[in-house]
Amino acid sequence: MRRTLLYALGGLLLAGVIHIAIIFLVPYFATRDAWSAIAKLGAEGEFHILPLGDSGPDTLPALDPRLLHAVCRFSIADNPIRIQAQLPSDFWSIAIFDRRGRNLYSLNDRSAERTQLDLAILTPVQMAQMREDPPASLEQAVVIELPVQAGFAVLRVLVADDSMLPAATRALQGANCAATL
Amino acid sequence: MRFLFELAFTILIATTIGFATAWYAVDRGVVFGTVTVGAWKAWPLEGSANADPYSLAMLARSGEIPLGGGEGIAFTATTDSRGNPLSGHCTYAVDGQTPPARLWTLTAYDALGHLMPNAAGRTGFLSREILRRPDGDFVITLAGDVAPGNWLPIAPVDRFKLVLRLYDTPLTTGSQLAGVTMPRIIAGACS
Repeated sequence: MRRTLLYALGGLLLAGVIHIAIIFLVPYFATRDAWSAIAKLGAEGEFHILPLGDSGPDTLPALDPRLLHAVCRFSIADNPIRIQAQLPSDFWSIAIFDRRGRNLYSLNDRSAERTQLDLAILTPVQMAQMREDPPASLEQAVVIELPVQAGFAVLRVLVADDSMLPAATRALQGANCAATL
Repeated sequence: MRFLFELAFTILIATTIGFATAWYAVDRGVVFGTVTVGAWKAWPLEGSANADPYSLAMLARSGEIPLGGGEGIAFTATTDSRGNPLSGHCTYAVDGQTPPARLWTLTAYDALGHLMPNAAGRTGFLSREILRRPDGDFVITLAGDVAPGNWLPIAPVDRFKLVLRLYDTPLTTGSQLAGVTMPRIIAGACS
């Protein structure tokens, strides 16, 4: 009897290990995660505008229907990138995620203090190199250092009413996520 | 022989309990760092680099992208203020105030996270569109049929959820969020 209990206890401990392993592994094996959904939308290095609201398969679940979203997969493994956009004067925000959906950085129009978005993303190594010889073009940019090779950016623009949609769409169409420093 | 039996017993316990608890935690959203205010729940860590493994597993499974801390915070309600599940066969009044934010939106989704199509073409409210009482409070009526005032149509589904998103809000940490005033969700007549 005592022996059986001991085995049961061992089973419970092992169950804990399995539980933890599954939780940690889910993001690595998920096939319907945001990264996979965004990869289906098109090439890396350009913004893809998601339809307003949710209509059909070419979008992400549970987005706010009052905001227009654009997503871009990027890689900074070889070179740093710069995200640039001329946005409307109403609310907008940008969030940077790593490949597993972890939010690494976010910014809204008020903290950016202007309607022009200019965000440079560098790896720590690129940052160290850049500090030795900072290019003058970066003076106006928000420079962030991210410890990742790849990730995705989500740009959200408020569409207060239908008349704002063309301006919001134009702003997102003009957004660039593969500019150089 | 007995050893083999016991080993099989151990492995059976381990895999069953391990998988079941992991599934339960990810599927039901039993996550550390949940902030509950009445019927509303928020996961402020979801939008930070310190997101816990449970939040990341949930996000990976749902494919949703959370709001970053610098963008805002989302509150989700799946029940009314008495704790009964939200049903598309009932009417509800979302009554009260929202925490401070530059703007907010209230959206109703079905159980799978899709918008509910309706003839009015209205899927959510923006704070600026809301008709308010003189004291600044508001009532949003959730109903299948046309209602006066702030009417948010819902489809006759068994379960739905409400998401209140606060954009550009000073509230970002869990302790700040726990003390806020959220609107109540009061159930009305059911058909």
